[in-house]
Amino acid sequence: MLTGCLTTVPVVREFPEPPASALEPCKSLSTVNEASLSGLMKTVTVNYATYYECAIKQNAWIEWYKIQEQIQNGAIND
Amino acid sequence: MWMLSFVPDDFLAYIINAILIAGAIGTFFTFFILHKVVRWLPALAPYHLLLQIISVVLLVGGVYFKGGYSVEMSWRNKVNELNQKLDAAEALSKEETIKVEKQIVYRTKIVKEQAQQIVEYVDREIVKYNNVCVLPQEVIDAHNAAALNKPINNTKK
Repeated sequence: MLTGCLTTVPVVREFPEPPASALEPCKSLSTVNEASLSGLMKTVTVNYATYYECAIKQNAWIEWYKIQEQIQNGAIND
Repeated sequence: MWMLSFVPDDFLAYIINAILIAGAIGTFFTFFILHKVVRWLPALAPYHLLLQIISVVLLVGGVYFKGGYSVEMSWRNKVNELNQKLDAAEALSKEETIKVEKQIVYRTKIVKEQAQQIVEYVDREIVKYNNVCVLPQEVIDAHNAAALNKPINNTKK
Protein backbone atom coordinates (compact mmCIF):
# COMPACT_ATOMS: atom_id res chain seq x y z
CA MET A 1 0.00 0.00 0.00
CA LEU A 2 2.94 2.26 0.71
CA THR A 3 3.90 2.29 -2.98
CA GLY A 4 0.96 4.67 -3.40
CA CYS A 5 3.06 7.29 -1.62
CA LEU A 6 6.17 6.92 -3.79
CA THR A 7 6.87 9.32 -6.65
CA THR A 8 9.78 10.99 -8.31
CA VAL A 9 9.95 14.75 -7.84
CA PRO A 10 12.27 16.14 -10.49
CA VAL A 11 12.80 19.66 -9.11
CA VAL A 12 16.41 20.56 -9.79
CA ARG A 13 17.87 24.01 -9.68
CA GLU A 14 21.43 25.18 -10.14
CA PHE A 15 23.22 27.78 -8.07
CA PRO A 16 22.69 31.21 -9.73
CA GLU A 17 25.57 32.78 -11.70
CA PRO A 18 27.14 35.67 -9.78
CA PRO A 19 28.05 38.97 -11.49
CA ALA A 20 31.16 38.54 -13.70
CA SER A 21 32.90 41.59 -12.22
CA ALA A 22 32.54 40.20 -8.71
CA LEU A 23 34.46 37.09 -9.75
CA GLU A 24 37.57 39.10 -10.64
CA PRO A 25 40.17 38.90 -7.85
CA CYS A 26 41.29 42.12 -6.16
CA LYS A 27 44.41 43.72 -7.64
CA SER A 28 47.66 43.75 -5.68
CA LEU A 29 48.87 47.05 -4.21
CA SER A 30 51.56 48.99 -6.07
CA THR A 31 55.02 49.78 -4.76
CA VAL A 32 56.83 53.12 -5.05
CA ASN A 33 59.23 53.23 -7.99
CA GLU A 34 60.03 56.94 -7.97
CA ALA A 35 61.74 58.15 -4.76
CA SER A 36 60.00 61.49 -4.68
CA LEU A 37 57.12 63.05 -2.76
CA SER A 38 54.89 63.15 -5.83
CA GLY A 39 55.80 59.57 -6.71
CA LEU A 40 54.90 58.43 -3.23
CA MET A 41 51.60 60.32 -3.27
CA LYS A 42 50.65 58.92 -6.65
CA THR A 43 51.32 55.37 -5.50
CA VAL A 44 49.34 55.95 -2.32
CA THR A 45 46.45 57.34 -4.36
CA VAL A 46 46.49 54.38 -6.71
CA ASN A 47 46.60 51.96 -3.77
CA TYR A 48 43.67 53.66 -2.06
CA ALA A 49 41.71 53.40 -5.31
CA THR A 50 42.64 49.70 -5.49
CA TYR A 51 41.26 49.24 -1.98
CA TYR A 52 37.99 50.96 -2.85
CA GLU A 53 37.58 48.87 -5.99
CA CYS A 54 38.09 45.75 -3.90
CA ALA A 55 35.61 47.02 -1.31
CA ILE A 56 33.03 47.61 -4.05
CA LYS A 57 33.36 43.98 -5.18
CA GLN A 58 33.17 42.69 -1.62
CA ASN A 59 30.07 44.73 -0.83
CA ALA A 60 28.51 43.69 -4.14
CA TRP A 61 29.03 40.03 -3.20
CA ILE A 62 27.30 40.57 0.12
CA GLU A 63 24.44 42.45 -1.50
CA TRP A 64 24.07 39.84 -4.26
CA TYR A 65 24.04 36.96 -1.78
CA LYS A 66 21.38 38.61 0.41
CA ILE A 67 19.19 39.30 -2.61
CA GLN A 68 19.52 35.73 -3.90
CA GLU A 69 18.75 34.33 -0.47
CA GLN A 70 15.63 36.45 -0.26
CA ILE A 71 14.46 35.41 -3.73
CA GLN A 72 15.15 31.73 -3.07
CA ASN A 73 13.41 31.69 0.31
CA GLY A 74 10.49 33.60 -1.13
CA ALA A 75 10.03 31.03 -3.90
CA ILE A 76 10.22 28.01 -1.60
CA ASN A 77 8.22 29.32 1.33
CA ASP A 78 5.33 30.98 -0.57
CA MET B 1 3.27 4.34 -8.33
CA TRP B 2 6.34 5.68 -10.15
CA MET B 3 5.31 3.24 -12.88
CA LEU B 4 2.24 5.39 -13.52
CA SER B 5 4.43 8.17 -14.88
CA PHE B 6 5.07 6.12 -18.03
CA VAL B 7 1.37 5.91 -19.00
CA PRO B 8 -0.61 8.86 -20.46
CA ASP B 9 -2.67 10.47 -17.68
CA ASP B 10 -6.04 10.48 -19.43
CA PHE B 11 -5.80 6.86 -20.50
CA LEU B 12 -4.73 5.85 -17.03
CA ALA B 13 -7.63 7.71 -15.42
CA TYR B 14 -10.04 6.03 -17.85
CA ILE B 15 -8.75 2.56 -17.05
CA ILE B 16 -8.74 3.12 -13.28
CA ASN B 17 -12.22 4.60 -13.26
CA ALA B 18 -13.47 1.75 -15.42
CA ILE B 19 -12.02 -0.83 -13.00
CA LEU B 20 -13.47 1.00 -10.00
CA ILE B 21 -16.93 1.38 -11.51
CA ALA B 22 -16.95 -2.22 -12.75
CA GLY B 23 -15.90 -3.40 -9.30
CA ALA B 24 -18.52 -1.26 -7.53
CA ILE B 25 -21.34 -2.28 -9.84
CA GLY B 26 -20.21 -5.89 -9.87
CA THR B 27 -20.00 -6.06 -6.07
CA PHE B 28 -23.44 -4.55 -5.63
CA PHE B 29 -24.89 -6.76 -8.29
CA THR B 30 -23.33 -10.04 -7.12
CA PHE B 31 -24.03 -9.47 -3.43
CA PHE B 32 -27.52 -8.00 -3.58
CA ILE B 33 -29.11 -8.76 -6.91
CA LEU B 34 -27.60 -11.94 -8.33
CA HIS B 35 -29.28 -14.32 -5.89
CA LYS B 36 -32.64 -13.11 -7.23
CA VAL B 37 -31.51 -13.33 -10.87
CA VAL B 38 -30.23 -16.88 -10.36
CA ARG B 39 -33.88 -18.02 -9.94
CA TRP B 40 -34.52 -16.90 -13.51
CA LEU B 41 -31.07 -17.86 -14.89
CA PRO B 42 -29.94 -21.04 -13.09
CA ALA B 43 -26.92 -21.28 -15.43
CA LEU B 44 -25.31 -18.50 -13.42
CA ALA B 45 -25.56 -20.34 -10.09
CA PRO B 46 -22.17 -22.14 -10.31
CA TYR B 47 -20.46 -18.83 -11.02
CA HIS B 48 -22.02 -16.88 -8.19
CA LEU B 49 -19.04 -17.09 -5.85
CA LEU B 50 -16.53 -16.54 -8.64
CA LEU B 51 -18.35 -13.42 -9.80
CA GLN B 52 -18.44 -12.12 -6.25
CA ILE B 53 -14.70 -12.67 -5.83
CA ILE B 54 -13.89 -11.01 -9.15
CA SER B 55 -16.11 -8.06 -8.30
CA VAL B 56 -14.51 -7.57 -4.90
CA VAL B 57 -11.03 -7.85 -6.41
CA LEU B 58 -11.93 -5.25 -9.04
CA LEU B 59 -13.41 -2.97 -6.38
CA VAL B 60 -10.39 -3.25 -4.07
CA GLY B 61 -7.98 -2.91 -6.96
CA GLY B 62 -9.89 0.07 -8.31
CA VAL B 63 -9.82 1.80 -4.93
CA TYR B 64 -6.11 1.11 -4.53
CA PHE B 65 -5.18 2.41 -7.97
CA LYS B 66 -7.53 5.37 -7.62
CA GLY B 67 -5.74 6.31 -4.42
CA GLY B 68 -2.34 5.88 -6.02
CA TYR B 69 -3.39 7.90 -9.05
CA SER B 70 -4.74 10.71 -6.87
CA VAL B 71 -1.51 10.83 -4.88
CA GLU B 72 0.57 10.83 -8.06
CA MET B 73 -1.45 13.66 -9.59
CA SER B 74 -1.31 15.59 -6.36
CA TRP B 75 2.49 15.33 -6.25
CA ARG B 76 2.79 16.24 -9.91
CA ASN B 77 0.71 19.36 -9.31
CA LYS B 78 2.93 20.32 -6.39
CA VAL B 79 6.02 19.74 -8.52
CA ASN B 80 4.58 21.87 -11.33
CA GLU B 81 3.70 24.67 -8.91
CA LEU B 82 7.16 24.61 -7.38
CA ASN B 83 8.80 24.55 -10.81
CA GLN B 84 6.76 27.60 -11.84
CA LYS B 85 7.77 29.47 -8.69
CA LEU B 86 11.41 28.55 -9.18
CA ASP B 87 11.28 29.62 -12.85
CA ALA B 88 9.97 33.01 -11.77
CA ALA B 89 12.62 33.18 -9.05
CA GLU B 90 15.35 32.33 -11.57
CA ALA B 91 14.22 35.12 -13.88
CA LEU B 92 14.18 37.58 -10.96
CA SER B 93 17.56 36.32 -9.84
CA LYS B 94 19.09 37.05 -13.27
CA GLU B 95 17.57 40.54 -13.30
CA GLU B 96 19.04 41.32 -9.88
CA THR B 97 22.44 39.94 -10.90
CA ILE B 98 22.49 42.29 -13.90
CA LYS B 99 21.62 45.22 -11.61
CA VAL B 100 24.45 44.35 -9.23
CA GLU B 101 26.87 44.00 -12.16
CA LYS B 102 25.92 47.44 -13.43
CA GLN B 103 26.42 48.92 -9.96
CA ILE B 104 29.90 47.38 -9.71
CA VAL B 105 30.89 48.77 -13.10
CA TYR B 106 29.48 52.22 -12.30
CA ARG B 107 31.03 52.52 -8.82
CA THR B 108 34.40 51.24 -10.05
CA LYS B 109 34.33 53.83 -12.83
CA ILE B 110 33.68 56.59 -10.29
CA VAL B 111 36.58 55.41 -8.10
CA LYS B 112 38.96 55.36 -11.08
CA GLU B 113 37.87 58.81 -12.22
CA GLN B 114 38.35 60.29 -8.76
CA ALA B 115 41.76 58.61 -8.41
CA GLN B 116 42.77 60.02 -11.78
CA GLN B 117 41.73 63.52 -10.66
CA ILE B 118 43.90 63.19 -7.55
CA VAL B 119 46.88 61.90 -9.55
CA GLU B 120 46.53 64.91 -11.87
CA TYR B 121 46.45 67.16 -8.80
CA VAL B 122 49.62 65.53 -7.49
CA ASP B 123 51.36 65.98 -10.84
CA ARG B 124 50.28 69.61 -10.84
CA GLU B 125 50.70 70.73 -7.22
CA ILE B 126 52.74 68.18 -5.22
CA VAL B 127 55.48 67.87 -7.81
CA LYS B 128 56.56 71.44 -6.92
CA TYR B 129 57.72 70.18 -3.51
CA ASN B 130 59.83 67.25 -4.72
CA ASN B 131 63.04 69.22 -4.25
CA VAL B 132 61.90 70.69 -0.91
CA CYS B 133 60.88 67.39 0.61
CA VAL B 134 63.42 64.71 -0.17
CA LEU B 135 62.26 61.28 0.87
CA PRO B 136 64.76 58.97 2.50
CA GLN B 137 64.97 55.47 1.11
CA GLU B 138 63.66 54.14 4.44
CA VAL B 139 60.31 55.82 3.77
CA ILE B 140 60.10 54.11 0.38
CA ASP B 141 61.07 50.77 1.90
CA ALA B 142 58.48 51.07 4.68
CA HIS B 143 55.75 51.96 2.21
CA ASN B 144 56.59 49.10 -0.13
CA ALA B 145 56.75 46.60 2.73
CA ALA B 146 53.29 47.70 3.84
CA ALA B 147 51.92 47.56 0.29
CA LEU B 148 53.24 44.02 -0.20
CA ASN B 149 52.47 42.97 3.37
CA LYS B 150 55.97 41.56 3.75
CA PRO B 151 58.78 42.03 6.27
CA ILE B 152 60.61 45.21 5.54
CA ASN B 153 63.98 43.55 4.75
CA ASN B 154 62.50 41.63 1.78
CA THR B 155 61.48 44.79 -0.08
CA LYS B 156 64.80 46.64 0.02
CA LYS B 157 66.27 47.20 -3.42
